[in-house]
Amino acid sequence: MIEVKGLTKRYGDLVALDQFDLTVSEGEIFGLLGPNGSGKTTAINCMLSLLKYSTGEINLFGEPMKSESYHLKRRIGVVMQNVAVFNELTVFENIDYFCGLYVPAKSERRLLVEEAIEFTGLADFRKFLPKKLSGGLLRRLNIACGIAHKPELIFMDEPTVAVDPQSRNHILEGIRELNRNGSTIIYTSHYMEEVEQLCSRIMIMDKGKAVAVGTKEELKAMIREGEKLTIDIYDLPIFVLDDIKKLDGLFQVNYSDYRLTARCTISGHHLISILDILRKANVDFGHIFTEPPTLNDVFLEITGKELKD
Amino acid sequence: MFWNIYSKRVLYSLRSRDILIWTWIFPVMLATLFFATMSSIDESGQLSEISLGIVDNMSFREDPYLYSTLESIEGDNDDKLFTLTIIDNVPEADRILTDGVVDGYILFQPDPKLIVVEDGLNQTIIRSVLEHYQHTKNAVNDMLLMNNGDYEIVSSALQNINYTEEISLAGNPPTDKVNYYYALLAMICMYGSFQGLTSVTLLQANLSPLGARTTMSPVKRFKMILFDLFGGITVHFCCTLFSVAYIIFVLKINFGNKLWLVLLTCFIGCLLGVSFGSVISVMSKLKEQAKIAILICVSMVCSFLSGLMVTGINYTVMQEAPLVAWLNPAARITDAFYCLYYYDSYDRYLINIGIILIMVVVMFAITSVFIRRQRYESI
Ligand SMILES: Nc1ncnc2c1ncn2[C@@H]1O[C@H](COP(=O)(O)OP(=O)(O)OP(=O)(O)O)[C@@H](O)[C@H]1O
Ligand SMILES: [Mg+2]
Repeated sequence: MIEVKGLTKRYGDLVALDQFDLTVSEGEIFGLLGPNGSGKTTAINCMLSLLKYSTGEINLFGEPMKSESYHLKRRIGVVMQNVAVFNELTVFENIDYFCGLYVPAKSERRLLVEEAIEFTGLADFRKFLPKKLSGGLLRRLNIACGIAHKPELIFMDEPTVAVDPQSRNHILEGIRELNRNGSTIIYTSHYMEEVEQLCSRIMIMDKGKAVAVGTKEELKAMIREGEKLTIDIYDLPIFVLDDIKKLDGLFQVNYSDYRLTARCTISGHHLISILDILRKANVDFGHIFTEPPTLNDVFLEITGKELKD
Repeated sequence: MFWNIYSKRVLYSLRSRDILIWTWIFPVMLATLFFATMSSIDESGQLSEISLGIVDNMSFREDPYLYSTLESIEGDNDDKLFTLTIIDNVPEADRILTDGVVDGYILFQPDPKLIVVEDGLNQTIIRSVLEHYQHTKNAVNDMLLMNNGDYEIVSSALQNINYTEEISLAGNPPTDKVNYYYALLAMICMYGSFQGLTSVTLLQANLSPLGARTTMSPVKRFKMILFDLFGGITVHFCCTLFSVAYIIFVLKINFGNKLWLVLLTCFIGCLLGVSFGSVISVMSKLKEQAKIAILICVSMVCSFLSGLMVTGINYTVMQEAPLVAWLNPAARITDAFYCLYYYDSYDRYLINIGIILIMVVVMFAITSVFIRRQRYESI
């Protein structure tokens, strides 16, 4: 559905996209994950043919995407990162306007607009002007305007910024629904939980490059790290800590603020070994918790920095 | 498709605060202000008295008819149109002309010639009297030749000529006041540039997120801008009609007897304003507020030069910098109104309208060339 090869985009001296490749197949929800300034928006705007690029090739639906490809634009829906709605038109009028650019038939459009209002939970606000909407509601309106015409391919650039968790779940569920009904979706975000929950495949970007692509399991398998362990210990003698550090398969072992933390490789029974040592040394311990690796850990491992802001 | 874009655009501009203030409220306030200041001018007489000098020389004495003609239309003491002064020689005439004692003087060499330093309504009136006199004189001479010098027939033919009626050319009373309102209408037309600016800003991807969004729609760019501009033009024309109605019905200003043509001129003026705004907007990447400031300034300067605040400045510009005057859109609109009010013939009116339409076509062409570009270095 989408094929991008060797895309390079410069803003003056700054290289925003560097030999960027991307393939998305029909029916996927594809996540672009990356910190601020990693080039997600730039990549999307190039794919939409809004931006000129220095080199590279972009095919959508198997055809080269150009700015005059109106027949392709008809099949695409976009939700821009910057909210793009008319401040002087009501919620209903806005959705009707954008839907009307794709669907001229009035009766058909009316149904679609109602569905989009339902979908984004804006039913109580249909007569509101955008400036009376809260930030989250405005985002939802932005989404409604982009998807009301039921496009085959949807680009969503950080659609859920500033949306509260409850409505976010509502929206994510809606996106899955769109996907089940046959839309292919490209989704950017820097909320990794969201991407993990939603996307069938994920690309992690940094500094204009794709650093890793795959399903979330594949991505997590790329790194040596398994779980992260945390054990509350009131008093941990140095020699015991040294013993723990000597264990195989553990790294970044650290004790501070009455709390022992360690990261471990994927295989092995690390927790049991640690607890053994503690018991033998008669050290009391409190809460124990383990966390599975996150995409943040993947990002951290590959780029050496945190993904979280 | 058309209706969707058009109707939303109309709604949009009816609800936009900037547009409301600048194109609906501001002109009405300005008109009211004019009305307040000018009602005092009005009381002091509709038209200032024209003072005219005549240099006394041989040719003048050989042609006493002009003097008697002028004397006959001098008017009575209450409502004097002319004051005539006989001047002894040319240097003296030049002196009192530059001192502003007379609006102009007539020098016979041997045909009467009008000498002025500035051009204004008074000078126009003198000139038209003079031309009329010359025509009549030539006609009389021809008739005398044809009728073998039969003076009786000729003089009876001439009896019917009444000069005072001929001066008010198109049957409308001459007044300075209406010129201010014409310049004001021109300014309102120029404020259509707000609509042009809005259309372009809403459609161009590098000017607003909405522009980026609409660029992604499957509607061809040319259609998009055209439909959108139609909406803007409609609203602006309504707004102009509103001002015209206010000036005519509330302020009771008489725009003469060719009201339909005045309205047509307003419409063409709106086209000019809208295209002007769109071309300014499409060619630069300045912030919207900066562009609005530019549009207001340019519209004001153009309207000023066409006589918005100081009447007669349009004549001066025409004398000193004719190119500026001809290319000043507001001056062309004002002049078109002026022609409708003062002239019977449509020649000059049509020239003005022609120039305006050429400007409109050129500016829309530039706009559509720019707006068809959809890809940008950065947005
Ligand atoms: N119009 C522009 N002019 C110059 N540089 C730009 C422009 N837009 C983006 N950039 C730069 O290009 C890089 C990529 O920006 P981009 O907006 O694509 O990042 P992003 O991944 O979408 O970030 P965010 O999560 O903040 O939206 C950044 O370093 C940014 O500073
Ligand atoms: Mg972005």
